[in-house]
Amino acid sequence: MTPSAGFTKGLFRDNPVAVTLIGLCPAAAVTGRVIDALWMSVGLIFVLVLTRLSQTILQAMLALTESASQSSPSTEARPFRWLGSLVFASCFTASFELILLAFVPDESASLGIYVPLIAVNCIVLERFAASGNREPVRNIGRDIAKSLQESGGLGVGFAISLIAISLVRETLGSGTITLFPIGSFAGTIEAGNVSLAPARALAYAGGGLLCLGYLAGAARLLGRLKGRRLEGQGGTEAERS
Amino acid sequence: MSLLGIILTFSLVDNIVLTRLLGICPCVGAPGGMRAAVGTSAATALLMSLSTLAAWVLETFVLQPLDIDFLRTPAFVLSVAGIAGFLDWVARRTVPQLLRLAGIPLAGIAFNCATVGVAIIAAKGGFNAPQSLLVGLAAGAGFFIALSLLTAIRERLEVEKVPEWLRGLPLHLISAGLLAYAFMAFDRAFLSRLFRGW
Repeated sequence: MTPSAGFTKGLFRDNPVAVTLIGLCPAAAVTGRVIDALWMSVGLIFVLVLTRLSQTILQAMLALTESASQSSPSTEARPFRWLGSLVFASCFTASFELILLAFVPDESASLGIYVPLIAVNCIVLERFAASGNREPVRNIGRDIAKSLQESGGLGVGFAISLIAISLVRETLGSGTITLFPIGSFAGTIEAGNVSLAPARALAYAGGGLLCLGYLAGAARLLGRLKGRRLEGQGGTEAERS
Repeated sequence: MSLLGIILTFSLVDNIVLTRLLGICPCVGAPGGMRAAVGTSAATALLMSLSTLAAWVLETFVLQPLDIDFLRTPAFVLSVAGIAGFLDWVARRTVPQLLRLAGIPLAGIAFNCATVGVAIIAAKGGFNAPQSLLVGLAAGAGFFIALSLLTAIRERLEVEKVPEWLRGLPLHLISAGLLAYAFMAFDRAFLSRLFRGW
């Protein structure tokens, strides 16, 4: 495996939202505006990467103490590791909440309860399940690099899906694209004639689920086409259609 | 808000799955048929009502008096996880055959973003203790309504002819979306006219 393979795997081939279909709640709920999707992605990447990093370090330390005490790797310790990871995830989420509240209070109000729920996001929890059964730690440095790459890839893959969904939903549903206000740019792009008569249905809760379903279908279609062309090679192109 | 108002709001108007879009993973991706749906919903409703009560206790006696609001997320997540673990332990001791439907521990399914989300919503809504308990139960009922409707749709779709690239989860998500549009009919104003004074 090349060093960057762990990162790119999460981007498209194992994209959490479009392909493996986990962490769907924020993908459907906060994609009404592009800016919400951007901040949600920042939050998830922040929590996911830091949690995975802390978890890897904790696991390495536990492995060291276990080998020092010559006891067999006990299964009793596993629930406590899971709990430890939950502590990490919820604390990093709480710190992200405070950061958001301090620097972009409007966005904090707009995202509402979806920010605290990053702590129990299926992507973050799924990672716990996957790393709970890992073989004993051999090389701490390599483990840390691997966990950083994997979690970074998953986080960026989540961001790509969220931004794709929110671009479709906001452009068609409200006729605007809301971004940061920079300088003289007010932060909102009008999408031509669509803004005169937008398809408001897409801006409602159901629209998020519809877009998510079609994105998942499109990702599967693209993956199948790609697989037919490359004979088993994973897809590396975007499923942004 | 009256008790009837709480029940209607949290089970229909603000349906946790179809309006708030929480707990989509267990609703769309959960394996099994109607029996598994009933089991999952019962476990979720139980966990939701206990966790809204725990959230009220934490909010009233710990977070507000000590002025440590910023610890709300860790406190709620860990207390809900603790209650889920406790329920799992109790169920394993008493009714082991009930515990595993489709090979997945029920408490593992019940501990999801919907449960924690309801706890946070209830704590921020400023309810008292019995009202918090009722919020959890009503949200659990809403979860059951959404999950049973989605399971029924899924069972019907399995025998229908559908495009191959949409078969399975993508189609479940699309049908959940259409169901969410249908739930927009449960409008707050409409229901308040039906039940005056809630």
